[in-house]
Amino acid sequence: MGEEINEEIVKELMKIKGEARGVHLKNDGDFVLKEKGKEGIEKLERELEKLGCPIKYGEINQFDFYPAGMRIVSLLAIKKTFGWPNEKIEELGTYAMQVSWIIKLFAKYFFSIERTFKEASKIWSKYFTIGEIEVGDYDLSKKYAVLKLKNFNLHPVYCRCLKGVLLGVVRMIVKSEEITCEETECFFRKGNDHKFLIKW
Amino acid sequence: MVEKKEEDNTQKISTLLEDLLLLERYIKDLFTFFPLPVCFVSPLGVIFEVNPAFEKAIGYTSYEIVGRPIENFFEKEKMEAMTKEILKSGNIEAREISFFAKEGKKINVSVFGQTRKNEQGETTGFFLGFFDLTNIKKTESDLQNTQIALLNMLEDIEESRKRAEEEKNKTEAIISNFTDGILVFNESNKISLVNPQAEKFFGVSNKSMAGKSILELSVFPELEPIVNLVGTEIKGISRKELSIRDSLILEVSSIPILKEEEKIGSLIIIHDITREKMIEKMKTEFVSLAAHQLRTPLSAIKWTLRMLLDGDLGEITSEQRDFIEKTYVSNERMITLINDLLNVTRIEEGRYLYKPVSSDIAPIIQFVINSYKDEYARKKIKLDFEAPKKPLPKVSIDVEKIKLAIQNFLDNALKYTPAGGEVSIFLKNISIKKEIQLGVKDNGVGVPKNQQDRMFNKFFRAANVLGIDTEGSGLGLFITKNIIEAHGGKIWFESEEGKGSTFYFSLPAKEEFTEFLEEF
Repeated sequence: MGEEINEEIVKELMKIKGEARGVHLKNDGDFVLKEKGKEGIEKLERELEKLGCPIKYGEINQFDFYPAGMRIVSLLAIKKTFGWPNEKIEELGTYAMQVSWIIKLFAKYFFSIERTFKEASKIWSKYFTIGEIEVGDYDLSKKYAVLKLKNFNLHPVYCRCLKGVLLGVVRMIVKSEEITCEETECFFRKGNDHKFLIKW
Repeated sequence: MVEKKEEDNTQKISTLLEDLLLLERYIKDLFTFFPLPVCFVSPLGVIFEVNPAFEKAIGYTSYEIVGRPIENFFEKEKMEAMTKEILKSGNIEAREISFFAKEGKKINVSVFGQTRKNEQGETTGFFLGFFDLTNIKKTESDLQNTQIALLNMLEDIEESRKRAEEEKNKTEAIISNFTDGILVFNESNKISLVNPQAEKFFGVSNKSMAGKSILELSVFPELEPIVNLVGTEIKGISRKELSIRDSLILEVSSIPILKEEEKIGSLIIIHDITREKMIEKMKTEFVSLAAHQLRTPLSAIKWTLRMLLDGDLGEITSEQRDFIEKTYVSNERMITLINDLLNVTRIEEGRYLYKPVSSDIAPIIQFVINSYKDEYARKKIKLDFEAPKKPLPKVSIDVEKIKLAIQNFLDNALKYTPAGGEVSIFLKNISIKKEIQLGVKDNGVGVPKNQQDRMFNKFFRAANVLGIDTEGSGLGLFITKNIIEAHGGKIWFESEEGKGSTFYFSLPAKEEFTEFLEEF
């Protein structure tokens, strides 16, 4: 699946069943505002309108649920509008974890790695109505963990975004200056699910 | 029915979402408004959240702060200890710590901490609130510096006070042990200090004199002479002699005490001169006695020599005449010296009284000049006298004494002007000062500058004339000065060594009206 976007692709993406919390879209808007200012937001909103999926970032209710496909449309439109590489989408994901208001609702789980891993599935369900996340192999003494994402095959662009999100989460629960996250298995690269190896 | 229930639920969810959003905005606004820096930290010590005040204080954006260990921004050891304490006790209050702002500035803050717990009672992190102590610390530091400065000043003042006290004690000791009596009057002319010697002189205690004015002091009979001498108010510098009793003669000096030209009091110094006066009196009496005893035989010698020279005792040879004439001249000099000494003793004993007569001074001067004409001619010194064209006012003088004064001037000019020199005498009426002025100008040896202030002293002779005239007594100008001052006049001179001198005296002219009254 490529990263191009047009009205046809948007229509297809909007057909995906499932919903995502508005906080995703709001975080996208905040990041663009930080990087490109008000003019950047206006430019992005014009592009989305052209694509037949008008999103007004300022009017998004971060607690409400929106079509899951809209989450992907927003990311692809951002990439197209500003020509950003995948690393910038990862940064967007990390930023979302650091400044998102809704993440504060989960802060009560972040007081230990074990507790966070234990509550991971619950946390995911608060973001999406589709897909499940589970913690696979992990060893605190060796400082690594594997996270699996199942039944969530929206678009490869979200894999990059999620990588950044996971980096942001781990940064909250471990004290380390060298945290890495790699997608070791991807549905879009002939994998069964998505697997992320996190080291710190 | 089912549709209606679903619709109701959707409506309720929509309302809840709307309320949640409003609540979030309210909390966000509150968090943004809150002026004190606040952050929320995980139990692991990772910063979860900061408010705008925290961002502003520390200089980093929330994106740069959130997810970073708290000790990255604070004094590490202190923050670790503080974190442990908060997690253990649940809160801390007003602990001091410094954080490091982006530009490297170290900022002192007071920290307040409070843990947050979840539904299960587990600690999920802690809030930290900070109060900037920079201004307080600065004020505290300023206060400390001011305190130190004040303490230093107090130390200096105490040191100065001690020094002043020591000086005061020293001065008091000096004054108390001073052999002269001292009276100090304050700016209100009242006695502020009397030293023991002054008490002894007058036999009046310090206590009974303290705070009294000069006028009030006259109630003490012992102090009456000094009150009369000083007057009711002390003005300027003066020095007078005071005979308290036969055995006590005092010299009283009054001096104004000035501070930046303003008079702040007066000082009276009383010096016991009884012994000096006694010695002076004895000396004068001895000289007087000796002079009288010498004058009689010298007069007898003079007349005997005169008789020999006049041939009253028979013819003498020219060789004998020559010897006798020389002896006669020497005897005359001796008589002159004795007369001078007698004059001096009379002056010192206060017996050199003059007999004033209203006189025209010009003929008197001419008379003395005439008596010197031959001697001046012999020495080939030109002698000029320019008599005034208009008649001068009369002066009240003792003619013989004034003649002596003029003689002394002419005698000096003759002695110390070389042959071929010039001496001119002028007489002026200085009407504006109501005085008659006489001047004798010569082009003789002059007086060395460094000796000029001693010219009128008794027995003084300038160094440059000792070789010219070996017979001078050094009494002439002393006697002249006393004669002129006894007439209420003044005496002075101008001189340059090697070029000559001009000696002056002035006498008060008589008022015409007074003269008229006298004649009437």
